[in-house]
Amino acid sequence: MNRWETVQADFVIVGGGAAGTMAAIRAKELNPDMEVVIVEKAEISRSGAAGRGMDALNNVVVPGHGTVEEYVEAVDIVADGVLQPDITRIIGERSFGILKRLEQWGCRFPRTPEGDYIVNAFHPKGRFLVEMRGDLKKILAREVSSLGIRVYNRHPVLDLVKSGTRIAGAVALDLGTGVLKAFLAPAVLLASGGAARIGLPNTGYLHGTFDCPWCNGEAYKLGFEAGASLTGFEYTCRSAMTRDFNGPGQSTFIRHGAWLVNGLGERFMERYDPQRMERAPAGIRMRAMMEEERAGRGPIAFSFRHLPSKVIEMIEEGIFEAERPTMRAFFRRRGIDLKRTPVEVVMSEVYLCGGHGLSGLVADRWGETSVQGLFAAGDCLANPYGFLAGAMVMGEVVAERVVERAAPGPSGHDARDRIDRLRRALERHGKGRLGVSVRDFEYKFRRLVNEFLAPPKSETKLRRFLHLTEPMLKDQEDLPARDPHEVMKVFEAKAGLFCARMAAEASLFRTESRFGLYHQRVDYPEKNDAQWKTRVILSPGPEGPVVEKERS
Amino acid sequence: MNLLIDLQCCTGCGACVEHCPGHVLSQDEEGRPYERYPDDCWYCGVCETECPAQCISLLFPYLIR
Ligand SMILES: Cc1cc2nc3c(=O)[nH]c(=O)nc-3n(C[C@H](O)[C@H](O)[C@H](O)COP(=O)(O)OP(=O)(O)OC[C@H]3O[C@@H](n4cnc5c(N)ncnc54)[C@H](O)[C@@H]3O)c2cc1C
Ligand code: SF4
Ligand code: SF4
Repeated sequence: MNRWETVQADFVIVGGGAAGTMAAIRAKELNPDMEVVIVEKAEISRSGAAGRGMDALNNVVVPGHGTVEEYVEAVDIVADGVLQPDITRIIGERSFGILKRLEQWGCRFPRTPEGDYIVNAFHPKGRFLVEMRGDLKKILAREVSSLGIRVYNRHPVLDLVKSGTRIAGAVALDLGTGVLKAFLAPAVLLASGGAARIGLPNTGYLHGTFDCPWCNGEAYKLGFEAGASLTGFEYTCRSAMTRDFNGPGQSTFIRHGAWLVNGLGERFMERYDPQRMERAPAGIRMRAMMEEERAGRGPIAFSFRHLPSKVIEMIEEGIFEAERPTMRAFFRRRGIDLKRTPVEVVMSEVYLCGGHGLSGLVADRWGETSVQGLFAAGDCLANPYGFLAGAMVMGEVVAERVVERAAPGPSGHDARDRIDRLRRALERHGKGRLGVSVRDFEYKFRRLVNEFLAPPKSETKLRRFLHLTEPMLKDQEDLPARDPHEVMKVFEAKAGLFCARMAAEASLFRTESRFGLYHQRVDYPEKNDAQWKTRVILSPGPEGPVVEKERS
Repeated sequence: MNLLIDLQCCTGCGACVEHCPGHVLSQDEEGRPYERYPDDCWYCGVCETECPAQCISLLFPYLIR
């Protein structure tokens, strides 16, 4: 791992998922001479949360079905008033344009007999979910390739390069050769997803997470260390997922009208949110689920028996053909038949995500962070419940900004220092003096997340979490990693621990309860709008994170 | 072991290895695919879908089965 190389570009994109590929496509369309480079940990036609497909665009304002105003209002309800409305508004305004582009490229949007899109309700208000079929990532990868965009697959990004206070590039490790590469450019987009491996799932299996397990908060850590701020880290998400499989389904089930029932067969949401029932904001649904289980009324399940078989067939088609075909085999193994059997669900592990929650890098309405030239889009950006359409809209918005600005390449940069520092770190991991595997290390802090950070929270538990994980910050530098894959795993684990600690800091700071279960503080059980209807911002300071309210 | 790879039908094309989003799979000297990092599998089924000869079936990680 001794050689290093440089690659010059105009625009470097970290992560070729939904946001990253869309940003690359838009930039190249607007300026075919621009050198656009995607640096991707996996292989872009199958990588990220949408790698195996998706059965819906969760948030599109379809003309005739909803308005941008209604969309912003719906997201405001889910985010409990704590969001940056201009980003949500842009997503609302441009989401239908994304649908149209995807349709033109060959994504299929099934229609009603009248020829309309199939638009369903999932948000507490309005209808913004459009049924989708087709191999999304294959389609995006094909467009990327047809425009001649350079893609470096199997290159996890480990660090960023700066030129004074500006961004100047990113450093990645070539998993095939072990060579470190500095990708230099005046504009860098972080688009490497959320942080999946924070809590431990009920199975105890490290990669058995709901969210894509290879997106583990590296963007949050890289951005923060480069000087950008984070927000929404107290929004510690958990979702109702198929027991053990932990796969998607929740939104599919709810938008098609499935009921959540407890072990007594009661549709228990009647007790907690009789108006909105299953469509209550996620944190309220999860709090209800936890209370039912605590009262001994588990297990919780989604029930479909009241639904017409046509609807059940549509659910099956969505998850088995578009979203997660392996769920078919799993259901078969467990003897689950949606027409007859309920699907038992458990609460997923805690995860942090800007597109499925509120946690992300803070940026302006063009996706630029406070570090000049450093942008964020998709799940690593705070774009509350932006999901797929939000990721793609913000990818486009960032690309337009980068093309418009056409900044010259940085004159000087610290790539050599960064590479030297990485090399020393990699040598140390090569020695692996801790003598503990990265997987045991990860298991340990994720078990602590379940015990002390997962809601309901309290100051005592959160301080305990910070105290018990403090020595791990030193330990992690001596984790063994003797090949490039293991180096990637060590960097993922470090990012996961960083994110969990940031979540504890933000959770300690917000001395009220908000977001249903997600930030339920037993020592501050009331919601306090007068004091706290504002975002909590974490910024890098000389002695650790500085935690503040966005508005006092 | 998360996968059942039928090496009788495998042509060694490497598609499963190329596309696995978790970098779980590798090929040995004879080009036969194997699970090099089985602990990192998301049972996403990409390998199964990508295999042109359909010789992969998912068993799921034992903790999930
Ligand atoms: C199971 C599941 C089902 C979902 N279903 C839906 C749905 O039906 N409808 C909907 O609208 N939304 C859905 N979502 C949400 C949606 O998929 C995401 O919001 C969206 O994919 C986010 O896009 P992204 O580009 O930010 O992240 P991703 O698409 O996950 O892409 C991130 C990319 O970064 C790469 N990467 C990670 N770390 C690094 C690194 N260090 N260096 C380089 N590259 C890196 C990853 O390999 C990946 O390619 C679902 C999410 C999940 C997990
Ligand atoms: S199931 Fe997915 S993660 Fe597992 S080996 Fe196959 S492609 Fe890789
Ligand atoms: S994709 Fe199928 S045929 Fe090709 S190497 Fe993998 S198992 Fe063998």
